[in-house]
Amino acid sequence: MKKVFLIWAVLILAFIMPKSLSASSEGGELAIKETIFHHLGDGYGWEVPFSHHHRIPLPIIVCDNDGVWHCFMSSRVAHGETYDGFYIAESGDYKGKVVGRDANGTEYRPIDLSITKNVLALFISVFVVLLCVMSVARWHKRNGYKAPRKGVGAIEALISFVYDGVIKSTLKENARRFAPYLLTVFFFIFVMNLLGLIVIFPGGANLTGNVAVTLVLATLTFLVTNIFGTKHYWKDIFWPDVPLLLKFPLPIMPVIEIFGMFTKPAALTVRLFANMMGGHMIVIALTMLIFIFAPMGAAVAGATTVVSVIFSIFMLLIDVLVSFIQAYVFTMLSTIFIALAQENPHHEE
Amino acid sequence: MELFTPDFGLIFWMFVSFAVLFILLWKFGWPVILNGIDGRADLIDKGVEYAQNAKEQLDHAREEADKYIADARRQQAELLREADKMKTQIIEEAREAAQKEAQKVMDAAKVSIEQSRKEAEQNFRNEVSVFALDIASKVVRNQLVDEKAQTKLVNTLLDEIEKQN
Repeated sequence: MKKVFLIWAVLILAFIMPKSLSASSEGGELAIKETIFHHLGDGYGWEVPFSHHHRIPLPIIVCDNDGVWHCFMSSRVAHGETYDGFYIAESGDYKGKVVGRDANGTEYRPIDLSITKNVLALFISVFVVLLCVMSVARWHKRNGYKAPRKGVGAIEALISFVYDGVIKSTLKENARRFAPYLLTVFFFIFVMNLLGLIVIFPGGANLTGNVAVTLVLATLTFLVTNIFGTKHYWKDIFWPDVPLLLKFPLPIMPVIEIFGMFTKPAALTVRLFANMMGGHMIVIALTMLIFIFAPMGAAVAGATTVVSVIFSIFMLLIDVLVSFIQAYVFTMLSTIFIALAQENPHHEE
Repeated sequence: MELFTPDFGLIFWMFVSFAVLFILLWKFGWPVILNGIDGRADLIDKGVEYAQNAKEQLDHAREEADKYIADARRQQAELLREADKMKTQIIEEAREAAQKEAQKVMDAAKVSIEQSRKEAEQNFRNEVSVFALDIASKVVRNQLVDEKAQTKLVNTLLDEIEKQN
């Protein structure tokens, strides 16, 4: 009986809510695309549920053309206001970013090190990763060789899953050397992915779906790969084992190899970024369907709501899976790239 | 589009936070955990090996114990047999000794009997000779009542003595 009541309540809510919401949006066209990209993008404040007006204010740190640093809360420039000569651009190249006006009155973009929504989410992720990993480390320090249970045990299982399954099996004797980097990458990406799926405050930022984040991670893998690359690895790039014609008058193979050096991190960047952004986009698009169909009457809107919500939940669940898979794939590929650069000549002499 | 153009601020902060996270975990996190996991794996491996060895030794020990028991049984049997032999030997010896002793005692008895017999014989002879002499003297006294006969005897005796010398 209770369950039946609950289902009815949800259905009624589903039929009424979109109507009232679309009525409240002043009859203006819903800017679907803008809304989607707004949710995928960064911002100078953190949205709170059920309000388009209020945001959690975050510090804005900018350096103007004279090299002076300005620091103020984002609430000061929230609704088109200007503070200290800075405001958020409404349109143009820097739309949605903090801009200032120089002496000539032209708009310019200051050096912007603001703690934006994504940056704060980054800090939260770092904190969560530290909390998780250090809890395991603390356990090992305190309890010696006893096997951990519950949460700590789960995290340890994940660590040894990645360490034994990916790092050790690929890098062999070099495993311990690169394990700290690779494990950090895995847990950082995994936590960022999962936090991105939580809809309200501590999560919701589309971090790994932002190209800057994945670019930094891929660049780091690129650096680790090439800095620790062996002589054999460099020889294979500039003087590979191919017929002479392929490398002497025209360095075809070396060019391809050098090109390959950069396509690897590029692939890493795009893969993680596109997968996570795609997941977020689908969920938002499914939610937006409700508002698109809202003006067509209660029946259509209600039906769409039910279907959309079910699909959103389904997609979010898949995204949980994707979060893990993408973190795993990124780590695995990084491990393979590093392992390839660690190769020593084996069939020579 | 904003999504595809990396923002400098985010790159900067991403780099900083990753560096901080990496350094902290590199120093305080991963080595402890990985050493712990590896150490535990080693400990478990060693434990298994130890248990296997112990089991092997136990099996071996059982075998050895069986061997010892068999050995002990054999020794026991041997001892028993020996003891039996010794017993019969002792009895034999005792019997022999007893026989010897008895022989000796009998011999001694025989000797003493012989002696007594001889002594008795001697006494008997002595007494008989005394009786004989008495009887003879009595007979002689009867015969030599007359002088003539006496003289005749004396003469005869004297003749005998003469002849002897």
